[in-house]
Amino acid sequence: MAYLLIIDDDEDFAEAVATVCRGEGHEVALEYDTHLGEMRFAQRTPDAVILDVMFPENPSGGFELARSLRKRSAQVPILLLTAVNQQFPLGFSQKDIDPQWLPITDFMEKPVDFDTLKKKIATLLSPS
Amino acid sequence: MTGKLPTALNDNGVAVYRLPLTDDGAPEPSGIGDYDLHRDWSLMYQNSVWFCQLRWIVVVVLCLAGGMALFPDVMLHYRLRLAPGWLWASAAILAVANGIYLQLLRQLSAQTRAGSLRTLLWSQIVVDLLVLTAVIHCLGSWDTYAPFAYLFHIILACIFFSRWTSLVVTAISVLLYFGLLWGERAGVLVHQSAFRDMAAPLAAAHDPGPWNWQLVFLLSIWITIWYLVSRIASQLRAREYQLAATNARLEASSQERARHMLQTTHQLKAPFAAIHANTQLLLGGYSGSLPEASRRLVERIAARARMLSQQIQEMLQLANLRSQAQSQHTVSLIQLHELLQAMVERFEPTATARGIQVESHLEPAQVRGVEDFVKMLCENLLSNAISYSHNDSAVQVSCSQEAGKGAQVTVRDSGIGIPSDKLPRIFDDYFRTSEATLHNRASSGLGLAIVRHVARNMRINVLVESAPGWGTRFSLDFPPNNGGAY
Repeated sequence: MAYLLIIDDDEDFAEAVATVCRGEGHEVALEYDTHLGEMRFAQRTPDAVILDVMFPENPSGGFELARSLRKRSAQVPILLLTAVNQQFPLGFSQKDIDPQWLPITDFMEKPVDFDTLKKKIATLLSPS
Repeated sequence: MTGKLPTALNDNGVAVYRLPLTDDGAPEPSGIGDYDLHRDWSLMYQNSVWFCQLRWIVVVVLCLAGGMALFPDVMLHYRLRLAPGWLWASAAILAVANGIYLQLLRQLSAQTRAGSLRTLLWSQIVVDLLVLTAVIHCLGSWDTYAPFAYLFHIILACIFFSRWTSLVVTAISVLLYFGLLWGERAGVLVHQSAFRDMAAPLAAAHDPGPWNWQLVFLLSIWITIWYLVSRIASQLRAREYQLAATNARLEASSQERARHMLQTTHQLKAPFAAIHANTQLLLGGYSGSLPEASRRLVERIAARARMLSQQIQEMLQLANLRSQAQSQHTVSLIQLHELLQAMVERFEPTATARGIQVESHLEPAQVRGVEDFVKMLCENLLSNAISYSHNDSAVQVSCSQEAGKGAQVTVRDSGIGIPSDKLPRIFDDYFRTSEATLHNRASSGLGLAIVRHVARNMRINVLVESAPGWGTRFSLDFPPNNGGAY
């Protein structure tokens, strides 16, 4: 059992992801904006973070938060969930994952297949 | 948000907010201000470096001339008389000054401070003109063509600076030259000439002296050249600025469009992601088990939500491709075999779920183009091959490249195939054969329209072979790596 922090402005989607994670036996904390997400992270370091990219207050809020969280912890796995893939200008892909620019562990494109999500989370939490 | 006017309270204590007519928070589409600043600085910097390179050539010429002066026989033969001291001194001053300029330029390159660069450029101009005046004095201030050397400076100033700046350079040249003539006439400087026969001092009775119509003629040539060159140069510069500003506006607009596309994609896809997520919860039994009839209904909702999400993505991709002529894309050398391998691995779970085996035969192949577009192209072909295959069949993907030729890609399925009369229409937007609609209801009918756009943009020859019952083979011939529209 792990402690997961989900940060996504889409409450319906985030709640659904949280339900799946709880179903897997994990403890879940939910936040709907980047500022509160970072505060929650500071209060208690999670075992993994599931993070959205675009937030209403900042279209690249997820990227910025990922960089900020990475400064707080070099180890915590960050899984980015995005509705925008690399086939659009300014979209991103696996090749953009970079310790400096985009310090995440993995990403998934929305809509998310929950079986795949469960596998990804298990991989992120397994000791490397 | 930045730039928004603050909300105020009126006399009745009611909040009043006036909508700004321009949105200062949005990126400025013109982008001209930044462009000009950067352009001015970089151009000025490049010119400064170029002037330094030219100056080394002048230093070498002065050294050679000074060296020649050490051989009296040679000088006598050509009836020349040069004072090596002046030439050596001029070369030394220029060389030292040039070394200092280059050092300062290296320091300034990291600062991009236009003011410092301008000061440095002006100091170069003034020192150059002073040294030139000394050389002209050495060669002969009025009895040789040496004063015409000022024209180099005047013309360069006209080309690289504004009209008024070049006029200042012209005025400095005139002042220095007339100062030299005055100095020689007043006896402060002894008149010299590189020509032996004209070495008489100014005081000599037969000396025509510098103050005659020749000077008026020389001056009028300088002014005329300044006027003509500076006028033509300023017109060309204005035109260049105009073109550059238009280009900057187009680039800014392209960036803005890309941002808009990103936001739209997100806004349209996000609700479907939530619907899809919640249907998965229902189907996964997270809220208790569903009766069979309800399960079927939720499955339909999930399928339609997924389909709509995919259609939105393809519509936006197509719109993006259609407007791609206005935008800048990063062209790179793509390792096609690696890209296809990653794609095959991505599609394998979908294929395996239906018992379809994806067989790949990928030899090293490189293409030059926009990677995202090549991905779109291959993804659509592979996705179609799997979608329109029968269960428990096979899909073959191969790529190869012969030396000096373009890469070749083949995607072959043994699926439902396309009737021959419908083949010419398969690349049309939203076109789907009735057989395809029956086999796979989820498709948007835009996948091959995307393939068509990418193929045309990248000059890729696409050959389709198909027959009902036999399946379909798409063969792509990429242009050689130095060809193509990009």
